[in-house]
Amino acid sequence: MHVLLIEDDLLVASGIVAGLRLHGLTVDHVETASLAQSALATSTFDICVLDLGLPDEDGMALLARWRARGHSLPVLVLTARDAVEHRIKGLQAGADDYLLKPFDLDELVARLHALLRRVSGRSADRIEHGALSFTASTGEVLLSGAPVELSRRERALLRALLQHPKQILSSEQLRDSLYGFEQDVESNAVNVHIHHLRRKLGAGVVETVRGLGYRLGDACAEQQR
Amino acid sequence: MSIRLRLLAIIGMSLTMLWSLVAIWMFLDVRNELRTALDDRLVASARMVAGLVSQLPPVGGKGDSPLNVIARDGLACEVSLLRGEVMAQTIITRTAGSPGLADAAPGYGTHVFGGKQWRTYVLKQGDIRIATADRIDVRETLLRDIALAAGVPFAVALIGSLLLLWFGIGRGLAPLERMRATLARRRPDDDVPLPASDAPSELRPLVHTIHHLLERVQGTIARERRFTDDAAHELRTPLTAIKTHLQVARIASTRPQAAEVMAQALGGADQGVLRLQSTLDQLLLLARLDGPAEQASAECTEAGAAARQAIEDAQSDHGGAVGRLVFEAEDVPIPLAIPAALLVSALRNLLDNALRYSPATVPVVLRIERIDAGRVCFSVLDEGPGLTEAECAQAVQRFWRRSNGAQGCGLGLSIVNAIAKRHGGELLLRNRAQHGFEARLGMPVHAAR
Repeated sequence: MHVLLIEDDLLVASGIVAGLRLHGLTVDHVETASLAQSALATSTFDICVLDLGLPDEDGMALLARWRARGHSLPVLVLTARDAVEHRIKGLQAGADDYLLKPFDLDELVARLHALLRRVSGRSADRIEHGALSFTASTGEVLLSGAPVELSRRERALLRALLQHPKQILSSEQLRDSLYGFEQDVESNAVNVHIHHLRRKLGAGVVETVRGLGYRLGDACAEQQR
Repeated sequence: MSIRLRLLAIIGMSLTMLWSLVAIWMFLDVRNELRTALDDRLVASARMVAGLVSQLPPVGGKGDSPLNVIARDGLACEVSLLRGEVMAQTIITRTAGSPGLADAAPGYGTHVFGGKQWRTYVLKQGDIRIATADRIDVRETLLRDIALAAGVPFAVALIGSLLLLWFGIGRGLAPLERMRATLARRRPDDDVPLPASDAPSELRPLVHTIHHLLERVQGTIARERRFTDDAAHELRTPLTAIKTHLQVARIASTRPQAAEVMAQALGGADQGVLRLQSTLDQLLLLARLDGPAEQASAECTEAGAAARQAIEDAQSDHGGAVGRLVFEAEDVPIPLAIPAALLVSALRNLLDNALRYSPATVPVVLRIERIDAGRVCFSVLDEGPGLTEAECAQAVQRFWRRSNGAQGCGLGLSIVNAIAKRHGGELLLRNRAQHGFEARLGMPVHAAR
């Protein structure tokens, strides 16, 4: 899951980034609305965590503008202002969820998962795909009922593919989901992780679409093992 | 007491009193007129009888006697003959039911005959004495009938006008009642203006005043709300940082090879605690400055010493600021009537702002000038970007911060301003002529010396 964190307070932001990374999420952090704008233009995100008190623009205004332009990126609003009218305004401006500071890190992660699940139209936390079973919130992977040990990047890759089951994802998109804005990433890093994923879950789990990218394949690993 | 009742009482009472006086006056008048008229009738009857008696021979026969004509009108009459020197009189004739009128004196008189009061008139014509009389109680009955006939419609009209007054006042006061209802329905956070258009001209100033009052109240509520909102924000943000970093540390403690993450998280939590502490300290200081004034402190502070202390503190806050702070002052001790801790705190806040918002390489000057015998001015001069006019005005508001990512919790200048106001000084913020910014803190010199 590739998360865009928009938060002006560096101390809070560093905590959230570290916490989300520990939970296996890919996080990119920006401090201002304008930086958020350019991040959104150059990269793909699955979800956004938005602090309302931004220095250059009110978070609510930014959100309203996004929605007016048709951005459907799910947004969880974080704020230290607890008046009910703020919450109502935030939800009316197009926020999908609302969390009051100080919040619980586990709750934030759980809400992000729930939000993503809702957006992709699933009602359960567990994604079943053939013999493959993936628990979104914990990242637990079962293949024919047996647990499979995956690295953090492999899990992120599998999550990205499962989240968009019919879609072709370009290697740039997958790279974003895995690494975010990290610069020094080997050019074939995504390929390496796909290779590992195929080795652990069966060759059919990732389908290569020549010239375009990758797609979630039929999980026919059972026959192969 | 409602206006309606009060108006009704005032107008109703005056009306009733006025008309009652008129009624009494009229009644007395009518009674007088009636008495005169009836007395005149007695006289006229007596004369008529006298005329008749002188023309006709006084026959003792009854029947068509002219006296019967008089008797029909309820009068009593007695004709008697006076004879010789002896004052003996012989009653020639009298109306039926007439009491003995022989005792009545000539002219008008009031006598009691047979237990009843009579009004009498006695006319003497030659040797004939004619006495006419009517009963006073008949007169009274007549007067009562007249009073009743005139008084009942009068009373009905009075009651009617009071009722009309009641309804009329009610209708007249309807706009007031409408306004009351509007105000009663109003919620405290309602910011819709009162409808002034349908108020009558007498009420318009009141509506106006209420309107202004509501505006002021709303302003206060909004300010209070913003303050609590801002305070909550300033306290919650470091709290969030602490909580998040601690949770990160907890998760990291269960993972192998996460020692670095854990150390960073604990460091972050530490930083958050420091920030929370400083925000709390500032809020508490502001609250104390807002509170009731303590005993006018006899404490006396030397300006130069306080300034040097502030510079030292600011330097320890900004590790790299050593050498950036320049102190300019004459070498004359100036006593100020302000506790040292507060003056140092104010100067330190000003220096802190200057160091923070100006380029790290240029000096910041703290200058002490004696303006006149009674005042001294601390100027903190920097070469930063300064503030716009509007920002200068806003800068002393609590929690105000430059919008472009400024640090701090936005209480520094509020504190300086509060300290200055409390001790008879003032804070002035302005841009310098060329470039840079100047904060001037004027303080009164201790009067005792």
